[in-house]
Amino acid sequence: MLLLCPVPEALPSPAPRPGAAIDLQRLLIPDPARTVLLRVGGDSMVGAGIHHGDLVVVERHPTPRDGQLVVALLADGFTLKRLRRRDQRWLLVAAHPAYPTLDLGEGELWGVVTHAIRSFSP
Amino acid sequence: MSTALALIDGNNFYASCEAVLDPAVVGRPLVVLSNNDGCIVSRSAEARALGIPMGAPVFQLRAELERHGVIVRSSNYGLYADMSQRLMATLEAWVEELEIYSIDEAFGLLHRPAGSEDLTGWGEELRRQVQRQLGLPVAVGIAPTKVLAKVANRIAKRDPRWRERGVFDFAAVADPDPWLAATAIEDVWGIGRQLSRWCRLRGIADARALRDMPPGELRRRAGVVGLRLQQELQGRRCLPLASVAPAKRETCVSRSFSTPVDTTAALKEAVATYLCRAAEKLRRQGQRAGTLTVFVRSSPFDGTAFYANAATTTLPLPSNDTAVLLAAALPLAERLFRPHKPLRKAGVILQDLQPVDLLQHHLLVPQTPEQQRRRDTLMAAVDGLNRRYGSGTVQWAACGLAPAWRMRRGHLSRAATTRLSDVPVARA
Repeated sequence: MLLLCPVPEALPSPAPRPGAAIDLQRLLIPDPARTVLLRVGGDSMVGAGIHHGDLVVVERHPTPRDGQLVVALLADGFTLKRLRRRDQRWLLVAAHPAYPTLDLGEGELWGVVTHAIRSFSP
Repeated sequence: MSTALALIDGNNFYASCEAVLDPAVVGRPLVVLSNNDGCIVSRSAEARALGIPMGAPVFQLRAELERHGVIVRSSNYGLYADMSQRLMATLEAWVEELEIYSIDEAFGLLHRPAGSEDLTGWGEELRRQVQRQLGLPVAVGIAPTKVLAKVANRIAKRDPRWRERGVFDFAAVADPDPWLAATAIEDVWGIGRQLSRWCRLRGIADARALRDMPPGELRRRAGVVGLRLQQELQGRRCLPLASVAPAKRETCVSRSFSTPVDTTAALKEAVATYLCRAAEKLRRQGQRAGTLTVFVRSSPFDGTAFYANAATTTLPLPSNDTAVLLAAALPLAERLFRPHKPLRKAGVILQDLQPVDLLQHHLLVPQTPEQQRRRDTLMAAVDGLNRRYGSGTVQWAACGLAPAWRMRRGHLSRAATTRLSDVPVARA
């Protein structure tokens, strides 16, 4: 079974033929060329509803906006956090009290998380 | 309003693909190896800067690669094909028409708006977007014709004045002549080695000289093909965009073996494996084959007398059924095998291809439409399973289980975009 957790943001509105079955592929991935799937490792985003082992749909490189869930490319790899704009700087904020806030600094804003997919079947 | 052609291609495409979903290799020297991990076929910009040569056999460079900490990768065709599809889908939106020319290059037709002649800015924006959305660097050459667009693309990639922008439009320069004069005859698209040697002997050493040589002389040597090439260099479009790929005339699957094959059984397994792949290709193309060829060869380097041979058979009825094709191919493999001739390579060629929607009847091969339909359904099911769960999920026993000759790919990166278990991790 799948649980879809839409990130608080308007869903794309595909306009299928009347009577056609809902196309999950098109709903989740309207632009396949610049969309990739990543696996979540860690629990720093549980407060945002993103759990260890979830599959996240990531759209590459939109213009950064305050409050978005993003994947950043830091020196040690991909990191999933919430993007915040504070004092002219971009911060990567965890949704878990035990994790520190990071400064995007030299890191690259790699993509925006549009959906998380959690499977309850083994 | 006139039109222009752009040649857009990926820089170091294979090496660039390796970095898209693997943060650990971004900005580091990396090389990609050919089949069986033989030679270097793609280098990242960083590896290029270290002076690592293209095409070099990797065993000669082991020490050097290690000293510089160069990352070595086997060819990950699944990854490259997926990134290629993404690239081409993105490019579609940027041009009026797209001709996909190879895995990493495409010709695009664009309008050149009157008044704003120079399309360099368009090319720069395209590059920026492809880099942002796909993580792939591309180069763009723009010109009135395909042959000139190729020249322009080369300038965009190599000329120190344009390399930074990665775009070159002939309309941006007042006089094309110095640029053509700086393009060696061997680097003109479509000039073979023989024709370029012939040109050199006549003192024709660059693209400008070829453009301006007497057409009669060129025609006598190279026929209409040579003449077309010259007219394209003059800016007259002779090679139109082929947006629909022509139906394939033949399909070939061949590979080198990682270890020499010296038994009939192993050769038959290899031929069966290639045949299964070729038959699947055929079905994807919606075609049947009427003729089947198997070829084998030994290594020209291992000291024993070189052996190369081929055998062909005509099928009673054109087919794309793996079982039918296997039954025809395996006896050929048996016939080609020679004891004491260790083989290094084998292949299967399917020819005389025709579309499946062509009705076929044959008096000597009785097969009812119902039987035919059931075979087609079986093949479609096999192909579906292999596409969905990875190639080799369902295979014919004739292919063998864990053959020793299978292609060596010791440094393969993960199938990050095509296999669920290989999806990279984002730390949270």
